[in-house]
Amino acid sequence: MKKVSNMSELFERLNDLKVVFFYGQKFIPIIQSIIDFMSETVPLLEDINSSISDSTVKIPKAKDQINNVTNATELATTEILDTVDSISAEIGKVENDLKTIQAKEEERNIIWNKIKENLSKDSNSIDLINKYENLDSVTFIIPKLLEVFDKTKNDVNNIALSLQVQDITSQQLASVNHLIESVRQRLSSLVMHLDETEIKDIESLQSIIPDTSAFNPEAIYTKSKEKQETADILVNNRLNKASQDEIDKLFS
Amino acid sequence: MDIKFLVVDDSVTMRRIVINSLRSLGYSDFVEACDGKDALDKLGTDDGINFVITDWNMPVLSGLELVKSIRGDEKHSKLAILMVTTRGVKEDIIEALQAKVNNYVVKPFTPQILKEKIEQILTAV
Repeated sequence: MKKVSNMSELFERLNDLKVVFFYGQKFIPIIQSIIDFMSETVPLLEDINSSISDSTVKIPKAKDQINNVTNATELATTEILDTVDSISAEIGKVENDLKTIQAKEEERNIIWNKIKENLSKDSNSIDLINKYENLDSVTFIIPKLLEVFDKTKNDVNNIALSLQVQDITSQQLASVNHLIESVRQRLSSLVMHLDETEIKDIESLQSIIPDTSAFNPEAIYTKSKEKQETADILVNNRLNKASQDEIDKLFS
Repeated sequence: MDIKFLVVDDSVTMRRIVINSLRSLGYSDFVEACDGKDALDKLGTDDGINFVITDWNMPVLSGLELVKSIRGDEKHSKLAILMVTTRGVKEDIIEALQAKVNNYVVKPFTPQILKEKIEQILTAV
């Protein structure tokens, strides 16, 4: 009886095995597709890894180029300021010369009036004086010239003031550089997670991370007076000993 | 009163523009510094400086730290300080005022604004 029982147990086990094979056959295509997927994905991941590595290595170059732009604009601005200073100095010289001529002309007029007074009884001299006075003089142009020079000087000063844009854009570029550096650091850590190889020069690159306190990411070149007005209100309220609550109320 | 300005900015361009503006307002005595630390060094060696015009965002030592150092130093605590910066949000201005700057100018500025603020400071002092 025991033999019969053992046989039926064997058949049960064989049945179980059959079920396993049956389901195994169903799972084989799934396992195959997982293997196919992995064999396709691994090279893709390697590609992504190498792309990230490439990008990470290229980022310092982008940063260098931004720094070059900043340096070039600073150099150009310095040259413009040199030229503006030189123009201002030349205008100043001509202006002074014209003022000297104007002052001498006033002296000449005083002497001339005295001559006229002394010759007032001689009719021939009076005729000559009248003819002389009717001749055009260059001196009447001087006030007009001084006016033109004054306006030109103002325009030149305004050019110099507009060059504040260089400082502001260099802060914006420094901010972009900082963002690029942050992306590079993230990419580097990603590469290190994907593949344990370290991006070369990563240590040396740390030293060129810009100091965030050295630029204002919100720097903007604008003619709007709004920010200065805000500053004026706050300064005036401070001078008038306004409380912080009162200051806050002004802006709420 | 003779005024000797210490112009602090990491941008060469901005230092020149500030100094040119001061010159156009009739001032002629200036010392330059490229950051807060350089400014403190200059203050340590030049007793004639009585007016500081400083930027905020600078490497090594910022303008705000410079202001705090000056105000915390008995010898220089009474110096006139004008902050000239691109930072124009309310919180920044309040922070600078709490650090005890005398006045505040937002870049880009005009010589007229600079004149007005310098005169306000000199009148108050």
